[in-house]
Amino acid sequence: MELCLFLGCNTPAIRPDVERAIRASMPVLGIDLVDADNYVCCPAFGAFPSTDTDSWLATSGWNLSIAEQKGCDIVVQCGSCYSSLRMGREHIMHHPDKKDRVNELLEPTGRRVEGTSKVRHVSEVLYKEIGPETIAGQIKKSLKGMNGVVQYPCHTLFPSEVVGFEDSARAPKGMRQLVEALGANVNSYSRELQCCGGAGGFMKSTPEQAIEFAKSKFDAILAETQTDFIAVSCITCLMHMENVQNTLNKRVGEERYKIPVFDYNQLLALCLGFEAKQVASITNVSRDSVLSRIA
Amino acid sequence: MAEKKPTGTVLVAGAGISGIKAAIELAEVGYKVLLTDASTQIGGILAKLDYQFPTDHCGMCRMLPMVGREYSSQYCMRKSLFHENIEIMPFAEIQAVHGDAGNYKVDLLKRARYVDPLLCNELEECIAVCPVEVADEFNHGLTKRKAIYQAIPHNTPKLLAIDKQACTNCGECVKVCTPGAINLGAQDEMVTREVQSIILASGVKLYNTTEFEDAKSYAVSPDVVSSLAFERMMSSSGSYRDGEIKRPSDGQPAKNIAWIQCMGSRNRRQKRDYCSSICCMFALKEAVLAKEKGGPGVESTIFYMDMRTFGKGFQQYRDDAVEKHGVNLIRCRVQGVMRNPDGSLQIRYFDPETNEFVIKDYDLVVLSTGQIPYETHKKWADLLNVKLDSRGLLATEDYSKIRLAGKPGLFICGSLMGLTDVSEAMSSGIAAAGEATKFLTGIGADTVKEEEIAEPTAHERELSLVSVAICKCGEKTGANGIDYELLSAELQRYRGVGEVNVIDSMCKENGETAALDILSKTKCNRLLIGACQPFMYRQNLKNVARKAGFNSSLVEVFDLFGIARKGMTLPSNKEWTLRAAHEVKADIEKLKFKPALHVSTLPINQTALVVGGGIGGMQSALSLAARGVPVHLVEKDGQLGGYLGNNVEATVDGLAPMAMAKDMQLKVYQNKNITVHLNCEAEGTVGTLGSFESKLVYKDSDEKIYLHHGAAIMATGGHEGATSEYGLGSSNLIMTQGQLKKGLASGDIDVGGAENIVMIQCVGSRQKEGRHYCSRICCMWAIANALKIKEKNPDARVFILYRDVMTYGFYEQYYSKARTAGIIFMNYSLDNKPQMEMVEGKPVVKFMDSILNEEIELPADLLVLSTGVDPEESNSKLAKAFKVALNDDGFFAEADSKWRPIEFQQVGLYLAGTAHSPMPLKSVIMQAEAAAQKAYAYLSGREVHTSSVISKVKDALCIRCQRCVNICPYGARSYDDMEKCINVDPAACQACGMCAVECQNNAAEVTGWSDKQLLSVIDAKLMDELLLSPVE
Amino acid sequence: MDLKGSIPDLWKAIYNTGDLHHCFNCSTCISGCPASFGDPPLLVRNLARKVILGLEEELLNDDTPWACVSCSKCEEMCPMDVKPFEMILSIRQWQSANDETRVPPSIVEIYKRGYTQAVGVNTELRDSLGLPELMTITKNPEQLQMFREMLMKTPVVSANDYMFGG
Repeated sequence: MELCLFLGCNTPAIRPDVERAIRASMPVLGIDLVDADNYVCCPAFGAFPSTDTDSWLATSGWNLSIAEQKGCDIVVQCGSCYSSLRMGREHIMHHPDKKDRVNELLEPTGRRVEGTSKVRHVSEVLYKEIGPETIAGQIKKSLKGMNGVVQYPCHTLFPSEVVGFEDSARAPKGMRQLVEALGANVNSYSRELQCCGGAGGFMKSTPEQAIEFAKSKFDAILAETQTDFIAVSCITCLMHMENVQNTLNKRVGEERYKIPVFDYNQLLALCLGFEAKQVASITNVSRDSVLSRIA
Repeated sequence: MAEKKPTGTVLVAGAGISGIKAAIELAEVGYKVLLTDASTQIGGILAKLDYQFPTDHCGMCRMLPMVGREYSSQYCMRKSLFHENIEIMPFAEIQAVHGDAGNYKVDLLKRARYVDPLLCNELEECIAVCPVEVADEFNHGLTKRKAIYQAIPHNTPKLLAIDKQACTNCGECVKVCTPGAINLGAQDEMVTREVQSIILASGVKLYNTTEFEDAKSYAVSPDVVSSLAFERMMSSSGSYRDGEIKRPSDGQPAKNIAWIQCMGSRNRRQKRDYCSSICCMFALKEAVLAKEKGGPGVESTIFYMDMRTFGKGFQQYRDDAVEKHGVNLIRCRVQGVMRNPDGSLQIRYFDPETNEFVIKDYDLVVLSTGQIPYETHKKWADLLNVKLDSRGLLATEDYSKIRLAGKPGLFICGSLMGLTDVSEAMSSGIAAAGEATKFLTGIGADTVKEEEIAEPTAHERELSLVSVAICKCGEKTGANGIDYELLSAELQRYRGVGEVNVIDSMCKENGETAALDILSKTKCNRLLIGACQPFMYRQNLKNVARKAGFNSSLVEVFDLFGIARKGMTLPSNKEWTLRAAHEVKADIEKLKFKPALHVSTLPINQTALVVGGGIGGMQSALSLAARGVPVHLVEKDGQLGGYLGNNVEATVDGLAPMAMAKDMQLKVYQNKNITVHLNCEAEGTVGTLGSFESKLVYKDSDEKIYLHHGAAIMATGGHEGATSEYGLGSSNLIMTQGQLKKGLASGDIDVGGAENIVMIQCVGSRQKEGRHYCSRICCMWAIANALKIKEKNPDARVFILYRDVMTYGFYEQYYSKARTAGIIFMNYSLDNKPQMEMVEGKPVVKFMDSILNEEIELPADLLVLSTGVDPEESNSKLAKAFKVALNDDGFFAEADSKWRPIEFQQVGLYLAGTAHSPMPLKSVIMQAEAAAQKAYAYLSGREVHTSSVISKVKDALCIRCQRCVNICPYGARSYDDMEKCINVDPAACQACGMCAVECQNNAAEVTGWSDKQLLSVIDAKLMDELLLSPVE
Repeated sequence: MDLKGSIPDLWKAIYNTGDLHHCFNCSTCISGCPASFGDPPLLVRNLARKVILGLEEELLNDDTPWACVSCSKCEEMCPMDVKPFEMILSIRQWQSANDETRVPPSIVEIYKRGYTQAVGVNTELRDSLGLPELMTITKNPEQLQMFREMLMKTPVVSANDYMFGG
């Protein structure tokens, strides 16, 4: 199976080790990745989707057309990119007038959107296309003996009929099963489905409250679980959940919040035998406690 | 016409309360009923409810007939139903319906129960040995049951069944079943039945918290339960123990309980843009009960959107819940429930009182889960080959909630019409029976002719001599080891016993013949029958006895089988046969001293009086007249039609009351059975029980006539209320909804140039000073008017200031329609009512917008007031004349707010429509049909059979203290001021014995329960105890 | 508050869908919203009310739509399918169109280099991880020009062309 890899901005620019992890493990699991050359911003919700429909959908259309020309679906790791592309595609596909306008704008660029390529999240490909059992059968190392918690990317859950792939967006199972496939024991906790709070303008507009909001989540993790790591599946979750722990430590004056955070693809690549140096090297919360135990 | 007409038979599909009510009403008229239910038992949802609003008790038995009690079995309705004309077929599903109106052939699939109820001895040894345990669905999984089980724990007879899905076929139950009632290889069976008419009463599926997607954000723990499951947590046959509500997860007491309303309802996203009508009252009741029954410190909180207290007495109940019981009501729909590590449940909500977010923990969360109508409606539509309406519901005829469109002889009732409360279920069940009765009359179907058996009088006054007949129930009791020879011998020796006969299977035809044969030769004048399940066979056995020449009051049936079972713990057959014999002796004593009682019959005058010539009154009159009953229709005004018929051109749901009234008026005047009296009021009424004489006074001429009638229906209607608030009458820019409606229809009110139109709901309503009730129709009226304004002037902004939008049930669609038409709804609370000030001749309305938490000032081009519905002033005069009660609000007080909504306590008097309480037109028509049916059923009996067992007054002992009058729950006792004595209405008396208990002077007595009888029963019991105690 | 200055048809300019008016102010959208924890809180139902009432001035000055985390939980839970997240985007669009100070600077970045971040320039780091060079639009002037020309035809860029001059 061939998929067009849409990297977005943050992953290749700030966390290329996650990109490396995806590029490493996907082919092992039978997915060939082709690059989306000349792609542009997804666009982020705070950008063109917040200014006007034309610029929003034209930008979505630009990206969608790249995959269509390659004749395959798009695979995305970033939650925001995924949601923005899917919503953009939804608008284009369900409103003929919008589709016409997008194609009118795209025409001089030699592009066109028909809707032949779907937008897929990397966790959906792993969960639905490859499956936890296959993954469990392919891994060379495992997270056995370790406890983890999972962070579902909101953007892959809501609104379920546009972006969803879980049987139930209110009681999702995918991330849990994927982490379990790597041999870890997944702990449940009360605020498992609470948003990380890192996307959009919440942190920018009211940082105090946004940090408090995140704190409630980390406090619940610490109080209710024996977790060794947090597995996320969205670049924003990854960066925010690391950064906020450092901020919180400064605030409380002790190193209370130091749970390693991994993108799932990083854990997967590690278990498939790839080097942590390559696939899980960039972080500001030490991952040593986990890396040393992967065997 | 010598040809024998077929006996009218009606299939009632669904044995919930509306189906049962329809069945009883039809059976009482004399039609045969086949009452089926898809579940293993009868009772529907109500079987799960121990408590109902407003009494917070059960009261289901109040739907049984109140007169002629000798002719139907009186038994706890939650346990079972027995009626000669009703055949009950549970666990049966309708597979196909062939044929046409008046001649339906129905294929029914009788599901295998694997336990033959006729053979089962109810000893439950099978249940004890069954090794399979599964969650008990009756208790919503709060308890466990076996694979062989009784679905409803309080049902009688027990009706066991095997859940084949759970059963492992191990055969343990078969081994211990001595009567051989269990057949693990039993097969489903297809039967075909012919019926003339079908009433669909299959109810509605309720939203299940585990099956549906949107509940998953809430149902995060076993301590989040549905409202029906909570009922089981409040029941001692569920999980209620030690005066505490137990949290399902760990059995700890639940103290802080939250209800979340509209779960699965009022949800456009889930394609359920309707309200489930009953959940608000359901939650209020549960919240109050939790505080009463949950032990000290229980806090009840309800999260709601609109508290829909639209029915009679609902608003008072809400006010009491809040003020007397301290139930918290919070207007906020929450996004989900979070389970804390300690198991408690966290809810975050926005408190509209403080405009702050609040995070609070609860021990238990109850989801008020609503109805899912579409599946059920689709199923019926496919089966009956009828069309669904645009919303996917079964289409009924215009103006009718009961008659299926295009299918004569097919009717619906109960929650199939949309989830209904008990009162509406009752009204609809009666109305459906009424429609079926009219239909059967129309096609010439006959009623069951009662067998005329003269009540024998011979031997009555001779010395008491008791004949004891013991039914040898074949395998049943025999297998349990009764020693019949010993039993006979023992009883034979007892003083006062003339003979003892052992007869086999008296419930079957050959047993009956044998009994008749033996008993018709007897010299005894009293008969004691020992048989199984007397509540089931009592009537049959009594009929046999009557045929054999016994006065039925001198025949008693006792539960031989029950006695036998008690004996099981004793070591030997002999010992417990003796025990059984001693038990029987008490019955013999009671019978020995019993006087012969006679049912008295009083002729019923065949004329009906209908008071009120509005749409409801006309509907009742036409319905009765159609069945040949002469009706006098009395209207106090100079024309028929009432308020709706003379003032309202169109309703929000597309009905045209004025056109309809015109049409009905024509039919009324053309009908030879109806005499119309205009400008006329009924003033004084004398007589009772089938023979009333009412004085009718013509207002214009002062002429009086006296009318004899057997029944009367109060259909006095109501009218738009008045108010002195908001400057009504001071400016032509301020008007009521009624005035606006008329003005819009006639064109007198022009909204063409209007920019802002403000409507204020609940003016003078739902508050203690004023109308302490919701008028139910005002929200719909306001919406209808607002939509009309939008139609005429789309640029006009219409603001509806409301307290709770009462668009209950499928009326919700009009609320949605109004919002999408741009009508703006803004909530206000009673303690912060909108204010009005005239500025430069224009009303300026000031009010608090609860959403933005800001005061809004709005100059209105029109200010429209919803002033509610007032009852007719004439109600008080009528109430006095007919000696019936009014409630505090001036509406008539029905016999029982839930179970007898359209009857008065007094037999022969009924009520319908707005005389009962404000209601929409379709409900008025339904009640009018129901009242007509009640009156018809009563009149068609031609005579009243009073019960033989009633209370009496020993006048010589009576000191006229009237304590008995006050305590009588049936209003059967009254003090006669003229004669200075206590009277007992023999038809109203239900022989409950309250008067006898209350009377300090032994002056009140229930016949057949004399002190002498009871004392000798006690003597016999004590003697038995002495004899049985081991003296050696 | 006086509704005299309100614009009844404002909703048509902001969020002209068949969904908005279904809102019955039930508060579902706000009870679990992350940004409702902010100060001032994002109160989605209040925004819907302001749009329906046509409170232009208040809406223009409202910063809260920009605090949205775009998690779309409100969209999932809204019983009336108002699609609150889409409404928030629509309010932002309307604000941007009517107040140039609202135009997010990130779109200028995108216009200039195709991305909000400097994608593809961290070649050293990428090399060390064994990653290939990225064929970004930033490195492809012909494609980037086409992209810019396309954007120039869209309302936000054409109306604020001075921002994109460089």
